[in-house]
Amino acid sequence: MMTPYDWNESVRNRMEFVEERLRSGSPVIGIRYSGGLLLVTLRGTQSKTFEIYDRIAMSAIGAPSDVEAVRIAALDFAHQEGFARSPDDVTVNRLVSFAISPALKKAFGDAWSAPLVFRGVFAEAGSAPEHDRFATLNFDGNFAYSSSFAVAAGTTPAEEAMRDVLTALTPDVPLQEALRATLEAWALGRKLALSGVDPDSEEEETSTNPAVSPWGEMEDDRAQLTTEAAVLERNTLGEVGFRFLTEDEIALSLPH
Amino acid sequence: MGASGPAPVAEVHGTTVIAVKYNGGVLNVGDRRATGGTAVMYDRAEKILALDEHTLLAVSGSYATALNIVRYLQHAFKYYRRTQLQEMSLEGKLQEIGRMIANNLPNAMSGFGAFLPVLSAWDTVADEGRIYFYDGMGARFEQAEHGAAGSGSAPIRGVFEYVTRTKGPFHKMPLKAALRECLEMLDIAADLDSATGGYDKVLPSAMAVGPSGIVKITDEQLNTAIRQVRGKE
Repeated sequence: MMTPYDWNESVRNRMEFVEERLRSGSPVIGIRYSGGLLLVTLRGTQSKTFEIYDRIAMSAIGAPSDVEAVRIAALDFAHQEGFARSPDDVTVNRLVSFAISPALKKAFGDAWSAPLVFRGVFAEAGSAPEHDRFATLNFDGNFAYSSSFAVAAGTTPAEEAMRDVLTALTPDVPLQEALRATLEAWALGRKLALSGVDPDSEEEETSTNPAVSPWGEMEDDRAQLTTEAAVLERNTLGEVGFRFLTEDEIALSLPH
Repeated sequence: MGASGPAPVAEVHGTTVIAVKYNGGVLNVGDRRATGGTAVMYDRAEKILALDEHTLLAVSGSYATALNIVRYLQHAFKYYRRTQLQEMSLEGKLQEIGRMIANNLPNAMSGFGAFLPVLSAWDTVADEGRIYFYDGMGARFEQAEHGAAGSGSAPIRGVFEYVTRTKGPFHKMPLKAALRECLEMLDIAADLDSATGGYDKVLPSAMAVGPSGIVKITDEQLNTAIRQVRGKE
């Protein structure tokens, strides 16, 4: 028989199991720029950024098969809703709060199956910037909404440091500037998550050499990865299209 | 209980839709009239519908069935592309449309809900425009130069032949010339078929599909072509 103690212990074990696997995940970032929404990450061989619906995209860290399970669940919900009602009724709010989050929470709480290793960012481009929406969704079903940017990284301190970088950025900058800033934020988040360092902690040194940017410091790591960036572009009529940026477009924005 | 029996099923249909190749893809032109029995029910129906970036469906027959099937196909193609992370092949799309028509056969046999489309696509593999029509059981036939559907299509069948013999094949015409020929044929169909609206009251809808996707023919382009057809320019 399972006692309350066992249950707590089981949740703690599962939390550790997932967190440990997420730590090495290459961070993903969603940010609003002057022409729509931008999703950025550096990836290995597998793509990590996906179109979900007419105005919605996602990017996530985690086990590829688990990310795939969440992606397909999101696609199924979005397309069933869009077909049964209207594409206008498919929103990130409904997708995350009512469709995906409860399923993730249930999977995480089920002691007899493996929890999903997943942490992701969903982005929805509205017809105007004031209707844009980001959501971050965690493996335990927790979610949070924001309007200007969202991040998902391997550790909480890494996410906080990335948010600090992006908060300092002027809102709605042009695409190139937004991409450069997100890549800088990526490098910082990646560095902190891999090193396990908390920049707010007074006991540990956060940077070995202040003259070298995190992007420069992560050069060896970056050499193993490919930069992936996609946009939900808003045209003059308010219509939105999803596309990946080309290598040339990305090359223009690489930090120093 | 009333003595009048069951209420008549009000079904809206009636059409002429035309697809012709031109030297940059395939052009679709359709009238806007929808009829129920002998009544004109609506004069702004859209019968040229984009299924995705490279596929146009020109619909005839029951408007309700057509819209439902188009809505399903649009979603099915989008869902396939997003889940599989690749476009559905043209063959796959053609099969899916054929299956929808075959599934609709019981409705068509019972006397309402029949629907027959002309499909125009830009074949991204062969890099050329393609035109197909279907029969009521879902069989598909590829057309070399042109296709048409709807109640007004039968009276103008010979006109396609006449244009090809006197002015050359459609696929060598520039878009503007092909548009003029389509409008001329639509005008003839409207003269001979009461369920076809023509271009006098409301502008027809016209779209073209080519290598860079679907382009809507603007009202200005249509008005210019109509003036030329009338001999005023």
